[in-house]
Amino acid sequence: MKRILADVRAFGSQYIRSRVGTFFALAFPVILILLFGSIFSQSGSPQIPLYVQDLDDTQTSQLFLSALNNTTVVAYRAMPVDVDFQEYIRANTINVALKIPAGFEADVVRAQTGDPDVRTNVTLAGDVTQSSYGIVASAVNAVATEFNLRLAGARPVVGMTQAPVSFRQLGYIDLFLPGIIGFTVLTTPLFGMTNVCAEYRTRRFFKLLATTKLSKSEWLAAKVVFYVLLMFLSVAIMLVVGVIVFSTKTVLTPMAALLIIAGTLEFTSLGMVLGIFVRDPETGAAVANAIGFPMMFLAGSFFPLDVMPPFLQTIARGLPLTYINEGLRATMVIGNESTAFTNLLVTTAFALVFFVVAARGLSWKSK
Amino acid sequence: MAGPVIEVRGLTKHYEDIRAVDGIDFEVQPGEIFSLLGPNGAGKTTTVEILEGLRDPTAGEARVFGEDVRTAYRRIRERVGVLPQDFEPFDRLRPREAVGYWGRLFDRTLTKGEISDVIETVGLSSRADTFAMNLSGGEKRRLGIAMSLVGRPELLFLDEPTTGLDPGARREMWSLIRALKAKGTTILLTTHYLEEAEHLADDVAIMNHGKIVVRGPPSALISRHGGGTTIVLVGVGREGLSAVAARGIPADLRGSDLFVHVAMANDVRTMLAKLASIDVAPTEIYTKRATLEDVFLKVVGTRMQEGVLAE
Repeated sequence: MKRILADVRAFGSQYIRSRVGTFFALAFPVILILLFGSIFSQSGSPQIPLYVQDLDDTQTSQLFLSALNNTTVVAYRAMPVDVDFQEYIRANTINVALKIPAGFEADVVRAQTGDPDVRTNVTLAGDVTQSSYGIVASAVNAVATEFNLRLAGARPVVGMTQAPVSFRQLGYIDLFLPGIIGFTVLTTPLFGMTNVCAEYRTRRFFKLLATTKLSKSEWLAAKVVFYVLLMFLSVAIMLVVGVIVFSTKTVLTPMAALLIIAGTLEFTSLGMVLGIFVRDPETGAAVANAIGFPMMFLAGSFFPLDVMPPFLQTIARGLPLTYINEGLRATMVIGNESTAFTNLLVTTAFALVFFVVAARGLSWKSK
Repeated sequence: MAGPVIEVRGLTKHYEDIRAVDGIDFEVQPGEIFSLLGPNGAGKTTTVEILEGLRDPTAGEARVFGEDVRTAYRRIRERVGVLPQDFEPFDRLRPREAVGYWGRLFDRTLTKGEISDVIETVGLSSRADTFAMNLSGGEKRRLGIAMSLVGRPELLFLDEPTTGLDPGARREMWSLIRALKAKGTTILLTTHYLEEAEHLADDVAIMNHGKIVVRGPPSALISRHGGGTTIVLVGVGREGLSAVAARGIPADLRGSDLFVHVAMANDVRTMLAKLASIDVAPTEIYTKRATLEDVFLKVVGTRMQEGVLAE
């Protein structure tokens, strides 16, 4: 144990003194949080600006717009009534716009009084390939349907009761933070250890260490201990920044702490497994990038797996980082400890396999 | 200790069709400096790394402190210090920190005073708090020796400790090695500097192509293979050679200089007197004692410079 602690201390001193390593472990995740947090954390759910040209300008048209506004999906923007609708959209690069025709209220009144032939159309214009167009179209359809039901005097039969999956009011940053923690648990030990192994081989540090009483397992354990400490320092900084800048409600639960420990063991060991094959730091960086970068995107660090195509979701299920990200979100955001525990078990299994392969595969001896 | 510190019998190491070490035998006695000497690729480092437990031999026996290095290296390394070839320190550790760290890897917690003593032993006190990456080549080697000393080794492996050092730093390293020997440490020194082995070693084995081609104390090797003293008559040319030959004195002409070999030291004065009586006019006369370089030239058949054999 003394030898492990001595190695943690010596390795840690060198790591902290290397400003590049410290930057990527501690400062880089904070920069990501500040950057993505600022972009996406405006105020809860984003609203799509909807430009409306109300050519009717009556109580009924106002009622229709008010109902649209109440969906909270759109943010109402008035368009002048004396301009060409299409021309104005093009000139002002507007994504979605709605036109309520003159005579809208009159047509509604005629329908109410029993005219079976009357029909009025609002016009929705915009780029149909944009997701924002589809969202607004759904909202407009929903309001129109509600209007039609009322005009027909019908009573809605099928409704919807909302059941929130979270007990807290969450913002984007709350969902993003666990992903960034997972990202850091992947990149810092994986890239660091691959590089360390390559450097130790090139500079013959392994041979030097082999002349002491420190064993390979002790050396690897020392690296795991160091990276676990570094990860907790990094997570603490991330959470403090999240709380101070974005008022995040994400908290570090005991289950999350266990996931971070298991994940760090997993990727420290994986870095050492890769280090078995790399011969120099340049190759080490290339190999770590080739494995780390696809994993950080495919395993849902920056966005949930549900938005990916099914075949990518299948690939993601084979990636170790997926279980850390899902486990962290489950315990830190939703409070689902049983799901987090399942992910912890999978992560621990991966970690133990990598540790054994690393400890057995890496040779300090020459052939 | 009764027996030898190191015993090597029929030690062999093959890499596919290359015989890096080819059935060598030697032993090292307690308290002596034993030098493995030879050009690059002779098999010195492979031999040392087998003894350090860093490589497995193909065949033969290697014992340190009477124990087989293949099976008992965990016990052996507690009594051994190693300065590997091309030693590099950890860049961002200071010598003081590196020595303390290395001590703990041998289960020794050194006090500040003990760390200072080790650093003083290798003459690094003034640089004890400088990051290792800022040390000179000689200082880095000294740090390497300091680290190898923290386990209080009875046996020290120094693999080419002076390669790449300037002459001044090399001489300082020699003083340090002599001081370690004076404290009773057994040292196995590999080098391709013949002069270094001659100055430091009690026993020398010259290796070439994986074999030991000659072995013994430097003075014995010189007298056996290089022999006595050479008197050099500078600039006498063929005329001088004829005059010397006419007196029955064997000599070699190299360029315009005449080399007269004297086997026994006691005969040098007599030979000088004989040469003085001959009517030749050298621009300079000097004597040259045989060295290990002459031995090397004789047994290997070529000279060596910076570890490389001359064509």
